[in-house]
Amino acid sequence: MSYQNHLRHAQLAHQTRRHFLSTCTSGLGALWLATTTGRAWAGLSRDPAKPLAPMLPQFPATAKRVIYLHMAGSPSQHELFDYKPDLAKLNGKECPKEFLEGKQFAFIQGVPKMLGPQFPFKQYGQSGAWLSDRLPHFSSVVDDVCFIKSMHTDQFNHGPAQLLVHTGNQNVGAPSIGAWATYGLGSENQNLPGFIVLTSGGKNPDAGKSVWGAGYLPSVYQGVQCRSEGEPVLYLGDPPGIPRPIRRRALDTLEQLNHQLAEDVGDPETLTRIAQYEMAYRMQTDASDAFDLRQESAAMHQFYGTQPGRESFANNCLLARRLAERGVRYIQLFHWGWDSHGDCQGNALNGGFTDRCKEVDQPMTALLKDLKQRGLLDDTLVVWGGEFGRTPMLENRGGNDNPFVGRDHNPGAFTLWLAGGGVKPGITHGATDPIGYQSIIDKVSTHDLHATMLHLMGFDHQKLTFQTQGAPQRLSNITKPSTRVVRQIVA
Amino acid sequence: MLRHPLILMSLAGVAVVAADEPVQFNRDVRPILMKHCSSCHGGVKEAGGISFIYRDKALGLGKSGEHSIVPGKPEESAMLRHLKSLDPDELMPKHGPPLAAAQIALLGRWIAQGAEWQEHWAYLAPKETPPPALSDPAWPTSSLDRFVLAHLDQEKLKPAPQATAAEWLRRVSFDLIGLPPSTDELNSFETTVGNDPFHAREQVVDRLLGSPRFGERWAAVWLDLARYSDTYGFEKDPGRNIWPYRDWVIRAFNQDMPFDQFTIEQLAGDLLPNASASQRLATAFHRNTQNNTEGGTDDEEFRVAAVIDRVNTTWTTWQGTSFGCTQCHSHPYDPIRHEEFYRFAALFNNTEDCDLDDDFPTCRVANDDAKREQAATLESQLRTLRTQLNQPGQTLAAATTDWQPFTPDAFAPSHGTLTVAADGTIRSEGTLPVGCSHKFSGPAKSFTALRLRMLPTSDDPKKWPERGAVASSFRLQLIDAAGAATGIALKEVFADYLAGPFDPMTAIRGGGGAGDFPKLNGPRGFVFVPEQPVTATAGTRLEVTIKQDAATTGNQATPLRRFAIDLTSNEAWSALVSDPQRIAAWQSHQALKQELDAIPSTLVPEMVERSAAAQRETRVFARGNRMIKERSVSPGLPAVLAPDASAADMSRLEMARWLVSERNPLTARVLANRLWGEMFGVGIVETMEDFGAAGAPPSHPELLDHLALRLRDTHHWSVKAFLKDIALSATYRQSNRITADLAIRDPHNRLLARGPRNRLTAEMLRDQALAVGGLLSPKMYGPPVFPPQPAGVWNSVYSGAAWNESAGEDRLRRGLYTYSKRTSGYPAFLTFDAPSHDLCCARRLPTNTPLQALITLNDPAHIEAAQGLAKRMTEHAPGLREQMAFGVLLATQQAASPAMLDKLTGLHIAATTDYQNAPAQAAKLAATPEAAALVLVANTLLNLDSALTK
Repeated sequence: MSYQNHLRHAQLAHQTRRHFLSTCTSGLGALWLATTTGRAWAGLSRDPAKPLAPMLPQFPATAKRVIYLHMAGSPSQHELFDYKPDLAKLNGKECPKEFLEGKQFAFIQGVPKMLGPQFPFKQYGQSGAWLSDRLPHFSSVVDDVCFIKSMHTDQFNHGPAQLLVHTGNQNVGAPSIGAWATYGLGSENQNLPGFIVLTSGGKNPDAGKSVWGAGYLPSVYQGVQCRSEGEPVLYLGDPPGIPRPIRRRALDTLEQLNHQLAEDVGDPETLTRIAQYEMAYRMQTDASDAFDLRQESAAMHQFYGTQPGRESFANNCLLARRLAERGVRYIQLFHWGWDSHGDCQGNALNGGFTDRCKEVDQPMTALLKDLKQRGLLDDTLVVWGGEFGRTPMLENRGGNDNPFVGRDHNPGAFTLWLAGGGVKPGITHGATDPIGYQSIIDKVSTHDLHATMLHLMGFDHQKLTFQTQGAPQRLSNITKPSTRVVRQIVA
Repeated sequence: MLRHPLILMSLAGVAVVAADEPVQFNRDVRPILMKHCSSCHGGVKEAGGISFIYRDKALGLGKSGEHSIVPGKPEESAMLRHLKSLDPDELMPKHGPPLAAAQIALLGRWIAQGAEWQEHWAYLAPKETPPPALSDPAWPTSSLDRFVLAHLDQEKLKPAPQATAAEWLRRVSFDLIGLPPSTDELNSFETTVGNDPFHAREQVVDRLLGSPRFGERWAAVWLDLARYSDTYGFEKDPGRNIWPYRDWVIRAFNQDMPFDQFTIEQLAGDLLPNASASQRLATAFHRNTQNNTEGGTDDEEFRVAAVIDRVNTTWTTWQGTSFGCTQCHSHPYDPIRHEEFYRFAALFNNTEDCDLDDDFPTCRVANDDAKREQAATLESQLRTLRTQLNQPGQTLAAATTDWQPFTPDAFAPSHGTLTVAADGTIRSEGTLPVGCSHKFSGPAKSFTALRLRMLPTSDDPKKWPERGAVASSFRLQLIDAAGAATGIALKEVFADYLAGPFDPMTAIRGGGGAGDFPKLNGPRGFVFVPEQPVTATAGTRLEVTIKQDAATTGNQATPLRRFAIDLTSNEAWSALVSDPQRIAAWQSHQALKQELDAIPSTLVPEMVERSAAAQRETRVFARGNRMIKERSVSPGLPAVLAPDASAADMSRLEMARWLVSERNPLTARVLANRLWGEMFGVGIVETMEDFGAAGAPPSHPELLDHLALRLRDTHHWSVKAFLKDIALSATYRQSNRITADLAIRDPHNRLLARGPRNRLTAEMLRDQALAVGGLLSPKMYGPPVFPPQPAGVWNSVYSGAAWNESAGEDRLRRGLYTYSKRTSGYPAFLTFDAPSHDLCCARRLPTNTPLQALITLNDPAHIEAAQGLAKRMTEHAPGLREQMAFGVLLATQQAASPAMLDKLTGLHIAATTDYQNAPAQAAKLAATPEAAALVLVANTLLNLDSALTK
C-alpha cells in the first residue's frame, strides 16, 4: 500500500470513528467533530465501518449491476452460435497436421477427425444473428444481444479456465469480478449480500468457491452462495424454538447490553457490531422475501418455466431478476453440465447437450425480456458464456473413439454474449477462422472482457487496484499489459 | 468492519530534517523515491536506464549519458535538474505533480552529504538499541516494556491502567490456549493475584504454556501459513491424508520445539542424516500444495505451480517478503532480481512429487504410534537397498564398451507407425492410445544385455520435459528361420537412475513399467538382462514388443515416441545377475517389503529429493511463463540477503539452515512480529506478509529488533519463553478500555497505550461456545472430523465426497480438527475470516458482517452450546439472578452489574411468558417455558460483544 493510501486510510478511519462516536447514544456524542467531506471516488477510500455502502464509480456507469450466467463445462460454439459451413464439409476427415502442431489438448490424442456442426443453423431478427435450432426461445431476443465470437483464453482445463474468466488469474488467490464490483461500488441494498451466487443444483463450479472468492480483497467482498431451495443464506432462518418475536426481544436486550459495553469500554467496533446484528435481523426478512418465488404470478412462472421449490437454472433466472430489482450489485449464476466430450451420454452433443439447451433457453430469454419490460435492462449488464470453447475436431479420448459425439476443450475460440448495461444490442463482434477453431478477427481475451465490464461499471480497469504482493493488483491482471476495453461493443 | 493501517511516521513523505542534521536514506530519502520515482525507475521499469531500487543503477550512467546522482555534487546530478526543470518535457516526475521544494532540497542535501545509500531496514541485521530514559522507570516488567514506554513518552501519552484480573486472564487464556478460563481458574487467580501479583500471573502463564491446548491454538496459526487442508484442491478436490502433519505441528508447539529445528525439519527434514519418521513427516509442510486431478490436466503445469507455491510460501512465512512478483520480473520495489526467483526455485525443483493422483511420494505413518519409527526405518532401508541394487548396473553400463545398435527392419505396431529415422532412432507417430504396443524385429545377434534408450522428440532441452514415456511391459522373442518363436526370459532391469513412481523391474514383472512418468525429463536408459546369455544363430530374428499401458489423468497415454536399442555381449552382465550375494540381497529386499506392508499405516505425502543423477534442470521462465524457458540456473539465495554468493550446489537443507542462521536478517523479526501480532491483534510491522519497501514500516523499529534478538539469541528460538515475556509484560497487561481521546488518536492501538481488544478467531468462537456450554471434547489428534454442517454445502464436481456427520464426541471437537476442504470450507469458519487454505495466508483480515451474527445466533452448534450453558446456569444456583451472573461469568469472565442482571432477568421473565403462550416453540429448546427462556438468555450471552472479543 502506498504512503498516500495509508494517509487516506488513516484520515478516513478518523472520520469514521468520529462519526460513530457521534452517533453513539452515550455521552461520547460530545466528541462530535467534523463530518465527512464531499467524497469523490478515491481508490481505496472506503468507509471501513460500512464496507458495502454504495459508492460512486470513477466515471458515470451504464451498468449499475451485473447478472453473469456462467455455463460451466463450456458449451460448444459450433452447435449454438458460430456457424461454419466449411466445417460441415470437413466432417469425418482426418484433422490436417497444421491444426495440431504445437497444440496441447486435454483429451485428444494423435490425429483426430473433424466434426461438422451437429444441428441446423438459421439467421434470426433484424440483426440476422446465426443461431442453431437448439435455442428456439432465444431466437426472439437476438436483437437485444451482442455476440462476441472471438473470445479466447490461456487455459484448457476447467478449473484454471474458470478461475481465469472470473478472477483474471488461472491460479487461486485473486478476487472475482463480483468481489471487485462490490469493493468498488458497494451495494445498493444493505439488507442483502452485495454479491450473490446461485448454482443450478447439481454441482459447484470445477474451480470451487474460489471463482466467487474475495482473493486478496477483504473477505467481506466474497460472493455469498445462496440457495434457491431451503434457506437462501446459511443460518438465515430462525432456529427451532426461537420465533421472530422472541428473537426480537432477545436482540433488544442484546443491543442495550452492547450499548452499555460500548460506553464502558469505548470500542467503536462494538457499535459496528450492534449495527451488523440489526442488519442481520433485517436480512432475515428481506432475504427470505427476495427469495420467495411464490410471490410471482402463475403467468410469470410459465414465462420463465420455473417450478418453485426446485433448484434450477430457471428458478435462478427469476431470482436474479428479483435480486436485480432489489439493488444487489453482482448476481452470478452457475449452470452445470456443458462439458460435451462424448465420453458418456450426459456429456455428449447427441445426448445431454440438448437437455442443457432446454434448461437454459426459455429462462435466459425470459430474463432478458423481463428485465427489458421493467426498464432494468438498460442498466443491468447480462453476460452469458463458458470458460473456453470446444474443438472443431471429434474427441478421441486416449486415442480411441468415444461412445458418443463430442468435442474437446479449445482455448482458442469461444462465443460469449452480453446484453444491456450499455452494450450495443444486435451486433456480432469478432470472428473465428473458417472452422471456428481460432479467433482471428477482433480477438477478445478474458482480460479484455473484464476491462470492458469494468468500463461499463464506470471504472478504468487500470485504476481499480488493490496493493498486495508488492504491486497494485487489478482484475485485468498486471501481467497482461495489452489488455484493453472492447470499445466497439460499447453503445 | 475493516481494519486499516495507521502510519505513525511521516505520512506525506516530507520528513522534517533539520538543516544541519545528516540526511538518512531509509528515513528521509527512500520514502520519496518509493512514492514518486520507483514506478518508472524501479525493478520492473527502468526508464532511461535508471532504477532507484539498486544502488549501482541509481548512481550509474543513464541512457542519456548523464549520472542521475553524483555523490557530493548536487549540481552535477541529473536527478535534481529534472526535479526542478521548467521544461515540461524534462520535468520529473513525468506522471504526477512536481515534488515539494522541501523534498527537492532534502534530496539535494542528501546528495551533497555524499548520497550515502542504505539497504532497506529489513535487510540489515537487527541490532539492540538501549532505550532512552523513561518517564516512569517502575512501569516496565519486561525488557520489551521499556521500548513501548519510551515511544509513549515521545508521544506524550501515559500507559493505560492495569487490566482487572478477569480481563487479563481472559485475554491471556485465549491468546495462549485459544479457550476461556474456567470459573475455578478465575477464582484461584483472583485470590492469589492480590498477594504476589507477578508470581500469580507467572503461575497462570506457566499453566497455559504447559497445557496440551497450547499446541492446538498455535497450530491453527501455523496451519494458515502452511495452507493446510484435508483435500487436494482444484476440480475434484479429493481427500488427502495429511492430518498426521497437523498433529506433528501440535506436538511441536506443545514440546516447544525450537523454531530453528521447527524450520529445518519442515523445509528439509528428509535431507537430515538418518531422518526420523517425525522429521520426514514434518516435510509434509510443503506437500500442502494443491494437486490437480482434473482429467486432461498437464501434470508438469501443476508440479511447477506447486514448486512456485513452495517458493512463495517459504518467503512469506519465513522472510515476510513478497517474492512472488519476481516470478515474472525483477521486484518492483525491493532489490531482488528475476533470476533470483528461479535460483531459489531450483532448491525446490528436485523433489519427486509431480502432481500424480495418488499424491506420490508418500511416507507410511504407522497407525500405531509405537511403530512409526520402525516403519520409517524399514522404508529408508528399502530405498537404500533398492538404490544399491541398481548401482552396479549403472557402473557396468558405463564400463560396457561394445554397445551395438539393433536396427529393426520389420514393424508391426498396434497403432500409428514405426520407422527408423535418419539418426538411427526408432520413431513412433500417429494416434497412440493407452495400451498400444510397439512390435518390431530385426536380424538377431548374440547378446548378454539389451539397452533401451528413450529419447525426447526434441533435442532442445528448453522444450523438455515432454509427455511421459513408459514401457509398461517389455518382451523379447527369438524367431528362428522356420518362424518358431522362443521367449527370452528377462531377469533384471537396471535404470540409469531410479526416480518416479514406478520401479523399472515392473517392466518385466508387471506393474507400472520402465520409463519416465508422468513426464520424460530428458534421455533415459534402461538395461534389460536375460537370465542366460542369448545366443543367436544365423537367420534368427529378434522381436521386441513394448506395451504401453501407463496413463496420466484423463486417460492420456505415455508411449515411447523416439527410442533406440543397443546390444552388448559383455559377459559381466550375466555374471552380475546370477551373483548369489545379489540374489540374497533381492530376497532381503522382498522380506523388508513384506515386513513394512504388514504395518497398518496412513500414507502421508512427503518431500523426497531426487538423486543427483535425476536432477531436473531449472530454467528462468520468460515473464514467468513456464512455456517459454530461458537460461538454466543453479540453486542460490538472493544477493541482497546473502551477499556471500551461495554455493552452486546448495541444497534445500542448507537453505533451511541459512534461514535460521544469524546471517539472516529477517527470520527472527518475522517470527517475533507474527507472535506479537497474535497477542496484540496487529504486528509491529502491520503487513506481516511484507517487510519489504512496499510493506508498512514498523511502528516500533527498536522494539522489533529487541524482540527478534531476544527470541533468537536469548531464548534460543523458544516460542514459549518468548510468549511468556509478552504475556507477563506491562504492555500486554494494560486495560483495553479505549478512552475517547485514544479512539481518535490511535484507533488501531499501534502506540500500545492500552491493552489489546480483538474479536475471537473463527476457531476460538466455536471452541468457546462448546467450552462454555460444557460440551467441548478434549480429544486430541487423529483424522479430521465432521461436525454438523447444513446439507448441500458440499457439491464438488465429479466427486462423490459427502459430509458424513461425525458421531459422539467427534461432533464436539475443537475447530482445528474440522475437515478442511479447499473448494468448500466450513461455512462458519469462512464467515469469520478463516482462509480457504488454497495459498499461504500470513494474516487474517478481520471483518464484521451481518452473516457473522446469523451464525452465532442461529447455527445449531451455537444453539446447542446455549442449551449447554443454560443447563450449567440452572445447576449452579436456584436463584435467577445468581444463574444470570454465573452465565455472564462463564461467557465473559466479567462480574455482571446489577443493571445488566436486571436486563437479563427482564428478558427471561418476558421470554418465559412468550414461551408459556407458545409451548410448542418452548419444547424445541427445553423441557419447560422457563428453561427455554434461559436457553434464549444463554444464546444472548454468547452473542455479547464481550463474549465475542478477548
